[in-house]
Amino acid sequence: MSGAIWRQHFTFNKYSQIAARAVRQSLVEAERLKAEKRGDTGLKYQKWENGQGGNHIPFNQPKEDA
Amino acid sequence: MATLREIELRLKSVRNIEKITKSMKMIAATKLTKAQRAVNSAKAYGAANAEVFKNSEAALPEEGGKKLYVVISSDKGLCGGIHSSVSKATRAAVKEDKEKDANADVTIMVVGDKSKAQLSRVLPQNLALTFNGVGKDVPTFGDACAIADLILTSGVEFDSVHLVYNKVVSALAFESAIQSVFGEEALKNSPNFKTYEMEDDATKDLAEFALANAVYAVLVEGHAAEINSRRNAMDNASKNAGDMINSLTMKYNRGRQAAITNELVDIITGASGKCQYFLFLSI
Repeated sequence: MSGAIWRQHFTFNKYSQIAARAVRQSLVEAERLKAEKRGDTGLKYQKWENGQGGNHIPFNQPKEDA
Repeated sequence: MATLREIELRLKSVRNIEKITKSMKMIAATKLTKAQRAVNSAKAYGAANAEVFKNSEAALPEEGGKKLYVVISSDKGLCGGIHSSVSKATRAAVKEDKEKDANADVTIMVVGDKSKAQLSRVLPQNLALTFNGVGKDVPTFGDACAIADLILTSGVEFDSVHLVYNKVVSALAFESAIQSVFGEEALKNSPNFKTYEMEDDATKDLAEFALANAVYAVLVEGHAAEINSRRNAMDNASKNAGDMINSLTMKYNRGRQAAITNELVDIITGASGKCQYFLFLSI
C-alpha cells in the first residue's frame, strides 16, 4: 500500500476517476451508455495570476479509444 | 404620447418576450424535478463527509491558516440574484477574514463565468483558478472529481477549503451558505484520528476524496437553487410582461378610439362647414 507508484503522479481523485472509467467501459452496452453519462464532464479551467486570466484549458478525460 | 405605430410595435415585442419567458419558465420547472432528485441523492455524499468530520472532531486553526474559498455558481444568467448573492457572501467572508487578521492569506477559486466576472472586478488579486462549463445539466461526480483534482494540483497552499454556494430554502427562496472542508493537516491533528494508527497516505486520500464529495454535494445543490430561481424569475417576468401587455393594449385602444373620434370630428366640421356654405349660397 505504502509503495503505490501512482501516488507520485496523481491525486487519489484522478486514481478513482481512472478506476471508474475502467469499470464503466467494462459494462454491458445498455448499462454502459447510462453509466458513461455519470462520468462526463465539459469542464474548462483558467489559471489566474495578478488579476489576469490565462487561457481556457479543457479538462479532457483521456480517452484510449478515439 | 407615442404614436399608434410605436405602441403597436412595442406591443408586438412585449408579446414575444412574454412567450419566451413563459417557455423558459416551463423548461426550468421540468428541469427542477430532475435537479431535486439529484440533490436528494447527492445529500448522502455530503452527509457522509460531515459524519467523518464530526466524529473526528477536527478543528479549523483559529487564527491564521490559509483559507481557500471556492465559489460555486454557473455560466448562465436570467436566474434572479443567484450569482450576485454568492459573490456578496464571498466578499463578506473575505472582509471578515481581513478584519480578524490583516495579513490573512485568502485565495479564491470560482466555478462559473457569472460570478467570475463579478469577483474579478472586486478581488482580482486573490483569484487563483476559475472553472466553467459546469451547470448546463445536473453536475456529475466526474465534474466534482475534476474540480477537486485541479484544486489539489494547482499548487495553491491551504489549510481549509470553504465552499460558497446557494442552498434551496423553499420553492420561492434560496440563501447563500458556506460549507467548510478540512484539509489533510487538520484531519491528521484531530484528536480522534490520533487514537488510531493511520497511514499518512490514507489520510491524504481521505482528505482529497472528502473534497470531491463536498464539491459534488454543493455543485448539485447550487444547480437546483439556480433552476428554482430561474423559474421564479421567469415567472415574475412573464407576469410583468402580461401586465405591460394589458396596459399597452389599453393605451392602444384609447389611442385608436381617439384617432377615430378626431376623424369623425374633422368630417363633421367639414360637413357642417359645407352646410353653412350652402345656407350662405341659398340666402
